[in-house]
Amino acid sequence: MDAMDMKSTFKPSHLILALCVTAFMGCTSTNEETSPMAGIAMADKVCSMCHGLTGESISPMFPKLAGQQKDYLKLQLTDFKGHQRSDKAGTQYMWGFTHLTETQIAELADYFSSQSPMKADADTPDARGELIFRTGLPESGVVPCSSCHGADGQGNGQFPRLAGQHAYYMIRQIKVFQETEQRPRGAIMKQVTHSLSDADAESVAHYIATLGAKK
Amino acid sequence: MYVKDNEECGAKAVAGSFHFWPFGRTGILLWLLFLVFCQSAQALPSFARQTGQSCVACHAGGQFPELTPYGRLFKLTGYTNGVQTNPLAAMIVGDYTGTRNNSDGAGGSISPKDKQMLIDYSSVFLGGKITDVIGGFAQFTYSSYDHQDASGNWVSHLGSDNFDLRYADRKVDTSRDVIWGVTLNNNPTVQDVWNSTPAWGYPYVSSTLGAFGGAPASTLIEGGLAQQVAGIGAYVYLNKSLYLELTSYQTAKDTWSFLSLGNKKGDTYHPLTYMDGSSPYARLAYTYEWGAQNVMVGAFAMNAKILPMDDSNNPVYGQGSTEYRDTGFDAQYQYLLDPHAFTAQIRYVKEEIRDHTQTLYDGPASLRSFKVKGSYVYLAKYGASLAYSNVNGSSDATAYADSANFSPDTQMWTPEVFWLPMQNLRVGLQYNYFTRYLGASNNYDGNGRNASDNDTTYLYMWYAF
Repeated sequence: MDAMDMKSTFKPSHLILALCVTAFMGCTSTNEETSPMAGIAMADKVCSMCHGLTGESISPMFPKLAGQQKDYLKLQLTDFKGHQRSDKAGTQYMWGFTHLTETQIAELADYFSSQSPMKADADTPDARGELIFRTGLPESGVVPCSSCHGADGQGNGQFPRLAGQHAYYMIRQIKVFQETEQRPRGAIMKQVTHSLSDADAESVAHYIATLGAKK
Repeated sequence: MYVKDNEECGAKAVAGSFHFWPFGRTGILLWLLFLVFCQSAQALPSFARQTGQSCVACHAGGQFPELTPYGRLFKLTGYTNGVQTNPLAAMIVGDYTGTRNNSDGAGGSISPKDKQMLIDYSSVFLGGKITDVIGGFAQFTYSSYDHQDASGNWVSHLGSDNFDLRYADRKVDTSRDVIWGVTLNNNPTVQDVWNSTPAWGYPYVSSTLGAFGGAPASTLIEGGLAQQVAGIGAYVYLNKSLYLELTSYQTAKDTWSFLSLGNKKGDTYHPLTYMDGSSPYARLAYTYEWGAQNVMVGAFAMNAKILPMDDSNNPVYGQGSTEYRDTGFDAQYQYLLDPHAFTAQIRYVKEEIRDHTQTLYDGPASLRSFKVKGSYVYLAKYGASLAYSNVNGSSDATAYADSANFSPDTQMWTPEVFWLPMQNLRVGLQYNYFTRYLGASNNYDGNGRNASDNDTTYLYMWYAF
């Protein structure tokens, strides 16, 4: 059984095929070991594919990064790199970035934090959401979001900017904090969201989404 | 692959729940394969290894080969995201075909190996990044049951499958986003990034040995030149909105025969299709993305002249060619927001045929091929799809000799349910339901065979690693 009769095939073709194979196998050392890509170049080439060039992502699957707090970005990239943050989407999309150097992380954090802050993702007001954001639900032990995330949801250091973030993304993260240990650095959020009902989580997320920059 | 604990043993659960013992040696082999692959669940198809990302990052709802917007960008920028790493990957397809009425009316059967579980075919892939601007995808496929020899023994076959090597680059800033590239490939539309064009269009797997695994007539661009041609083309994707491509195809012979391995002139079972000169292919697409949704509308066209073959399957020069002019319109829609994925594709190809060799068609002919498919996947694990195919065209006694009224007209519905117990294993059950076949619903062949006799059940297991 001669599965592939090579005898009558013209030789230059095999040479080309061999070259292709060699090219693919190539050197196995990673590019990052020889010349790490600058943060901005990475943002352009890779991050922008999901998060948008300026961090205004289109799909709510991917959080907006535009004007995000620099410290928060550094910590999240570090946690993705080291696999400390293990929420499902983070694992699926971000766990590959194990080769990020500290310089690249700093450059990426610089780049996105210096972009114009994320635009509002919704414009319909949500009174319940505003109540939770500004005054919390003291009877249930839900502290006001603004106490850590800022009066305008702009964030502060390790506490991320929320204003203008995709509501769907924020709801997902609230669920991650409530129900899992997948974001250990955000352990404080576990206490905060402990008594937050699904309906209230949606309300507050929709409200915060309206706090973004005007389009 | 960063597989969570409960997923590593998914394969064990699958193996346990599939009662393979009645299927004999093949069944045991399949079960063992599952156990082996359960152990090596860390292994990744090469793109996933290169990027460190899960399959769903690039594949809509986990439905490889359907691409997400990110997957499309990965391909358009030359498969270069991530680090250069082991480019080898492989896949195996085991399947079962059940032809509703497999009797030819004369005591014989129509579909060989019907109602048998088979390890049908497998492929090896070389794929991924070569440099920051060059990357590609090369597939070679081994079919266990290619044809039967004179003694009735089955003979296997190894040959080229899809191939796409690219140089691509991207310039992006706040005012514009331009991706451009050149491609060397061996199958018109293999280089396309939407799943509405033939090469990566539904169905992704279908019966190979079953006689009714698909519609009996299709336009040339719907697979007729796969692995027969060498195409060199250039494309540009502007502002993630407008895609333009021009590619020229010629016979994949001599220097290009590495693109058509396993096919050669004069071969009894895999003669190389020879083109007269080169054939232009053009593709235009407009895309828009908003929220979790994205849409594409496009068009494509190809003119090809195919040389006739003599009785020994050698190309004949100087006696004209069969000319095919294919014009296609297509569209795709996706809604991708975990845990839901909904994707739909539609295409319509209009073909005009002029057979100057008078060997394939009696006269000028036309064929229209319409396909539409919608699928929904929950949690990238549980999915269902429904496809509809409608082929119609001019009647021709030479081209459609099996039809009592010499007509290609066929209508087929294909519902499918599928399950991805692991992200790189798809198990599915497909059913081809014919309401019309080669010109009629009843007695289409003049010997009493009805379209519904050709209904085909197809169960498959598709594993990539």
